[in-house]
Amino acid sequence: MNFLKRYWRVALGMVVIAALIIAPMYLNRYGLFILSQWAVMTIAAMGLNLTLGYAGQVSLAQGAFVGIGAYAAAIITANGLPLIAGLGVAIVLCFAIGWILGYPALRVQHHYLAFVTLAFSTLAFLVFRNESWLTNGIYGISNIPRPTILGYPTNRPLPFYYVCLGSLALVSLATWWLIRSPWGRAFVALRENPVRALSLGIDTRRYTLMAFAIGSALGGVAGTLYAPLTQYIDPVPFNLSLSLDLLMMVIVGGSGFFFGPFLGAMIAVLLPEWLRFTQGYYLMIYAVAVILLLIYSPSGILGILDRYLTERRTKAASALRAVAKSGLEPAP
Amino acid sequence: MTAVLEISNIRKNFGGITAVDGVSFDVQEGEILGLIGPNGCGKSTLFNCILGQLQPSAGEVKVDGKVVTGFRPSDLNRLGVSRTFQLLQVFPKLSVRENLILAGQEHQGNMLSRLLGPSDAGLTKAAEQMIDFFKLGHLADEAAGGLSYGQQKLLDAAMAFMGGPRLVLLDEPAGGVNLTMLGDLKARLAEINREKRATFVVIEHNMEFVMSLCSRVVVMAEGKVLAIGTPAEIRANSAVIDAYLGH
Repeated sequence: MNFLKRYWRVALGMVVIAALIIAPMYLNRYGLFILSQWAVMTIAAMGLNLTLGYAGQVSLAQGAFVGIGAYAAAIITANGLPLIAGLGVAIVLCFAIGWILGYPALRVQHHYLAFVTLAFSTLAFLVFRNESWLTNGIYGISNIPRPTILGYPTNRPLPFYYVCLGSLALVSLATWWLIRSPWGRAFVALRENPVRALSLGIDTRRYTLMAFAIGSALGGVAGTLYAPLTQYIDPVPFNLSLSLDLLMMVIVGGSGFFFGPFLGAMIAVLLPEWLRFTQGYYLMIYAVAVILLLIYSPSGILGILDRYLTERRTKAASALRAVAKSGLEPAP
Repeated sequence: MTAVLEISNIRKNFGGITAVDGVSFDVQEGEILGLIGPNGCGKSTLFNCILGQLQPSAGEVKVDGKVVTGFRPSDLNRLGVSRTFQLLQVFPKLSVRENLILAGQEHQGNMLSRLLGPSDAGLTKAAEQMIDFFKLGHLADEAAGGLSYGQQKLLDAAMAFMGGPRLVLLDEPAGGVNLTMLGDLKARLAEINREKRATFVVIEHNMEFVMSLCSRVVVMAEGKVLAIGTPAEIRANSAVIDAYLGH
């Protein structure tokens, strides 16, 4: 029993990972596409969660970074280079642009910063649409190849789903490392109290820029997978509504929680599909469900769980303190 | 003794209002200097000018003989200057231990080594020692936001010492703290001062706290220095009695 109590999280994680590996073997093409899209959007939302959830910097530009990554991958693979080269270019490009986009955050915050990033999002969309010499404009780029990894082609939906899942696993591990490192703690300090953070020697300028750059680079990683997933890209999927969708994923899942983007992307990508049996009403039901959730728990789904666990911990600690004061022996 | 902090003719204007008007004094190594005065006399503004939170309109600040006027607070912290604020400034969602690790982590290695190194930046032991020193042991894993006001004040003070500072500026550390905790806080500050030769500047309205802890006191009124002296000299100073202490 104690063993189960101690390791239930590990056990639950193993079950989820096993399900993510085995269950898709029995899904059709469309199911695999949706699940791959969930993995890709989770990566993009993890990037935004880092910028917004952990470091507290509002961004409405994450969709644009997915677009930059997607175009980088599409252009590079269309020129016969491997996807890994596209990934490298996307990461460097998005990191650099994200770093530059972080500079306004050193001067403005909250909705002012949101407007700055919104303007960048619009600018990126205009580049995708108007710079036809590079992006092929409104006609988009088609026949984007899927990669061959260690001699295995991933043209079919199931192998490519595993590429997306594997990428999600790698990004998750890297993000987990980052948020548990002193950098992650500095990001939280930046969000909760930048003045105090500065007085403790935390270089808030550098961490703000890093939060933007790393979050944007993850958007680029997601875009690099999005292009070969759909095998055709045009500017429309990367307009402002993608940034708003990603923002919703982070907030609904639980901003500032590691697993928030996983849940948020699940709700944003999978829930509308599951609600299709309601036919014309599915988007309305979906919208009402999101509104109700945010009224009940502004900190998202994981915020509910966090509140419950915090209350339980506080009660237990208070009880222990009371026992210690009374001089009684605590129950085993 | 050498001066750890030298303040020369610091002035700070906010539009037409002069909040700090030509303040000068030194703080010697190992000294605990009290800074007192009525509300609004410019004590906290002076702190903010010294610590880079505000840019002084004129004057010069030196730490260990080096001019640091206009340095950013984070740069000053890395030079060994730490502070607490008048209002509580802990990180409520982090545990007591994590608050302390955060307070010391930027003094460990460089940015890259902090990213690739251990998640606690090698500070868990130092944080535990600080937790024990400030008698917060039973609260180590609790979120700082769930602590009582007095406990948060103790944590706030403890955080200021995690980087091993040479100079600490404490802004009303006794404000809102009950008598038992106040005694603890005073004892802890005196012990750190004695054993680590840390230098303190303390803003405080609790006269008993200031007079028993500090070796020298600066009194400010209307943005200027009214008097500087030992606690006994300050108590006997008629200008101070008229302006602040009362009869």
